[in-house]
Amino acid sequence: MAIKLIKLIKENKGGFIGALLLFFLMIMTCYALLFVSTQSRLQWNDPIFWSDNPKTAAPEWFNIILKPFGYQLPEHKIFLQKDAIVNTLNDIDFKLENNTFSYQFDYNEFPSSFDIPYTITLGEIPPILEIYVKRPDNLEFKIYSNSLESVNSLQNSEDSSANSVNDNITAPTLINSNTVSGRVFSSSQEVRNSLSEYSNIFKFPISGLSSEKIIYSQTDSNTPLKGEYEFIFSVYSFDSDTILQNLKLVIQGKVFGLLGTDEFRRDVFFGILIGTPVALFIGITVALSSSFIGLFYGLYSGYTGKKAGTFMLTIIDIFISLPTFIIFIIISIHFGRNLLFLIGLFILFGWPGVALLNRTFSIQIKNYPYIEASKLMGESDFKIVLRHIVPQLLPFTLANFALSVPIAILGESALSFLGFGDPSFPTWGQMLQEAHASSAETLGYWWWIVSPGLMISITSIAFILIGRSLENLVKIGKRR
Amino acid sequence: MMDQVRLQAINSVSGPSLENPQLQQFKTNEERQKLINQQIKIQSQSLGLDEPWYSPKKLFNGIYKILTLNLGNSRFFTTYNGSNSVNELILEKLPNTILLFTTSSITIILIGLFYGTYLASKEGSLPEKFISGLAATSRGVPDWWFSMIMIVVFSFFLHIFPSRATPLSSPNEPGYVLDLLYHMTLPFITLVIIGFSPFVYYVKYIVLRILDEDFIKTLRIMGIPKKNILYVHALKNAGPQLSTILGLGITASLSGSLLVEQIFDWPGMGNLFYNAITQNDSPLIIGLGYISVLIYLLTRLILDVCFTYFDPRIKSGET
Repeated sequence: MAIKLIKLIKENKGGFIGALLLFFLMIMTCYALLFVSTQSRLQWNDPIFWSDNPKTAAPEWFNIILKPFGYQLPEHKIFLQKDAIVNTLNDIDFKLENNTFSYQFDYNEFPSSFDIPYTITLGEIPPILEIYVKRPDNLEFKIYSNSLESVNSLQNSEDSSANSVNDNITAPTLINSNTVSGRVFSSSQEVRNSLSEYSNIFKFPISGLSSEKIIYSQTDSNTPLKGEYEFIFSVYSFDSDTILQNLKLVIQGKVFGLLGTDEFRRDVFFGILIGTPVALFIGITVALSSSFIGLFYGLYSGYTGKKAGTFMLTIIDIFISLPTFIIFIIISIHFGRNLLFLIGLFILFGWPGVALLNRTFSIQIKNYPYIEASKLMGESDFKIVLRHIVPQLLPFTLANFALSVPIAILGESALSFLGFGDPSFPTWGQMLQEAHASSAETLGYWWWIVSPGLMISITSIAFILIGRSLENLVKIGKRR
Repeated sequence: MMDQVRLQAINSVSGPSLENPQLQQFKTNEERQKLINQQIKIQSQSLGLDEPWYSPKKLFNGIYKILTLNLGNSRFFTTYNGSNSVNELILEKLPNTILLFTTSSITIILIGLFYGTYLASKEGSLPEKFISGLAATSRGVPDWWFSMIMIVVFSFFLHIFPSRATPLSSPNEPGYVLDLLYHMTLPFITLVIIGFSPFVYYVKYIVLRILDEDFIKTLRIMGIPKKNILYVHALKNAGPQLSTILGLGITASLSGSLLVEQIFDWPGMGNLFYNAITQNDSPLIIGLGYISVLIYLLTRLILDVCFTYFDPRIKSGET
C-alpha cells in the first residue's frame, strides 16, 4: 500500500508539489477565517488603527541579510506609558508630572521620525504640555509646548479627528466633553520652530534640515550622535482632575513586521492573510460554476444535433470571438465595483471555452454503438446522458476545473489592478494596485510588490500543477 | 452615456459668448438667451437627442458613424500635434504598440522554433525538464507583476535601465529612434522572458509527435542527416498546428499589453486605454474598445483564411 503511494507520488511529482502548496494555502485560509475577527478585517481601510506602524518599512529579517554589509536599518520601537519613569512634583498651585522615556540609539543612520500620541482628561483649568529631549551630551532641547486652552472651544471632533493622523497638524482634539487626545509628530511645524531656536549651538546651518536630523545630530557635523536619549513629557496641571491617560512614544523605524509595511502604515502580512480566503473563494467559485455550466451546456448541445445544437454552438462562438478583457473593463466602468458582480462576469465569459470542448467530446461519444443500443432499448435521453456520457467526461472536467482556477485568480487580480476591485475586501490585486499607485517599484519598496504577487503566483502554480497531473491521470485512464 | 457627452458639448459650444457676432444685435438678455436656446434645440433635433434610442434618426446616425470610423473627439487627451480626434490619437500610439509587441513576438517565435526543435531531439535531458517546469509555472505568474519586479531589480537596484519606458525626447528630434530603442529594452526583455518558455514547450511537444510518425523513419533510412530532418521536414509539417498557437498568441497579446504597457509607461495603445479609463474619458474608451475588437476580429479572420490555405485538409464549414 505504501509502495503504491510512493510510486504514485514519484510519477506525479508536479501534482504532489501542487497539493502541498494548496495545503499550505488552506492552512492560511483556516487561520485567517478562525483567528481574525470580522472587525479587524474591516480595519484594513482605517488609518487610525494603523497609526502606530511606520510607513514603508522593510521586513525585520532584512536586517539579518544586511549584516554582512555592516549596515543596519533602525528598528521600530513603541514605548508604552508603563515603560516611562514618572516623577511628580506637587506644589500648592500646580502639579508637575514628568514622564521620561529612554531610548538607546546606536545606528549609523538617522531614524525616520518619532511621534507621541497622548490622551488627557481635563479638569476645570486646562493644563500645559511640554516635551523635552535630553541628549547623551547633556544638551536639553524643548521641542513642544502647548497650553491646551483653545481645545475647550472645539465643539465637534469629527472633522478634526481626521487631522490627528495628518503628518503636519498636531492639533489636540476633543473626544468627549473632557478628554483630549493629540499626537505630536516630529515633522510638524511646531517642533521645527522650537528647534530653530537652538541654531546657535550647531556649527552647521540647520534651517533646511528635518527635526530628527537636528535632534540626533552631533554639534560639529551632521552625523548621528549615538547614546542614550531621554524624551521627557511634562504636564503642568492646575487642578486635581487632570489625568494623563494614554501616552506612547513611537520611534519610527525602517524595519517592522514579518513582511514590512506599506505607504499607509498597514502590515503587509496581515493584508495577505486576509486576502487568502477571498482569492480562493473567487477562484474556486468561478471555476466550479463555469465548469459545470459548460459541462451541461456542451453535453446537451452535442447530444441534440441539427438545429438546436448548431444554434447553441453559434452562441458559444459569439462568446469566444470577443476579446473578454476589454469588454470586462467597459462593463466594469459602467456598473461599478462589486465582488459578486465580478464573479458573475467571470462565469459569464468562462463557460464557453469549456462548453466547446465538452461539445466536441459529446459528439464523439454520441456515435458509439452502446449509446445507440441504449436508445433502442428505450432509455430516455436524459438518462443516457447522465449514465453513460457524464462519467466519462467527469475526470476531464475535474482537470479543466483545476486549470480554470488560475485563470480566474489572475483575471481578478488584473481587474483589481486596474482599479475595478471591490474596495471592502482587500485582495492581492488591490494591494498591487496601491503599490503601483504609490510608485513602489520606482522607489524600491520591494516587499510590498513581491509579497502579494508571490502569493498570486503560488496559488496559480499550485492549481496548474494539480490540473496537469490530473490531466496525465485522465490520459492514462483513457488509454486503458 | 454618449448622449450626455453630446448634450454637454452642444451646451458648452453654443453657450453665451461675447465673441459671437450674432448675439451682438440683441439688446436684452432674454433675447440673447432665446437665440441660444433656439440653436441648442436645432442641434439636438438634428442629432436626434430628444428622441428614444430606437428612433431611426439616431440609429442611422450611429451606424453611419460606426461604418465611417468617425469616433469623435477625446475630452482630455491630445496628440503631439495638438489634435483632439480619437482617430489621430490611436494612429499616433498604434505604431509604438506594434513595435514593441511585434519585435518581442518575433523573438519569441524564433527562439521557440529553434530551441524547441533542438530540445525535441534531446528528450529527457535536464534542460528539457527545466523548460517543461518553467512553461507550467510561467503561465501562473501574472506578467504585469513580473514586469514590476523587473523594474525594481533592473532600475532600482542595478540602475541599468530607466524605470519609465517613455522616451525623453519628442518625435521630431533627431535622436528619437535611439532613445525609443533604449527605453524599449527593458519591456522587450521582460516580454521575452515571460513568453518564451510556453512556446518552446509547445513547439517541442508538436515536433516530438511528428517525429514519431513513419515518414521520419523513412527519411532516416534514406540517409538524410538528422539536422536536416529536424529543421526542414519536421518543422514544415508542424506548420499548421504552430500557426494556430501563433494566431492565438497574437490576439492574446492585445489584452495583456494593457497592463504591461501601463507599468512600463510605454506610449502605446494599452497605455492610452489605461489613461482613458482612469480619467473616465468616454469617447476615447469607446473608440479604443471598438478598434481593439475590430483588430481582434480581423486578425482571427485572416488567420482562419490562412489556415485553409496552409493545410488543405481543413475545409470550411465542418464542425
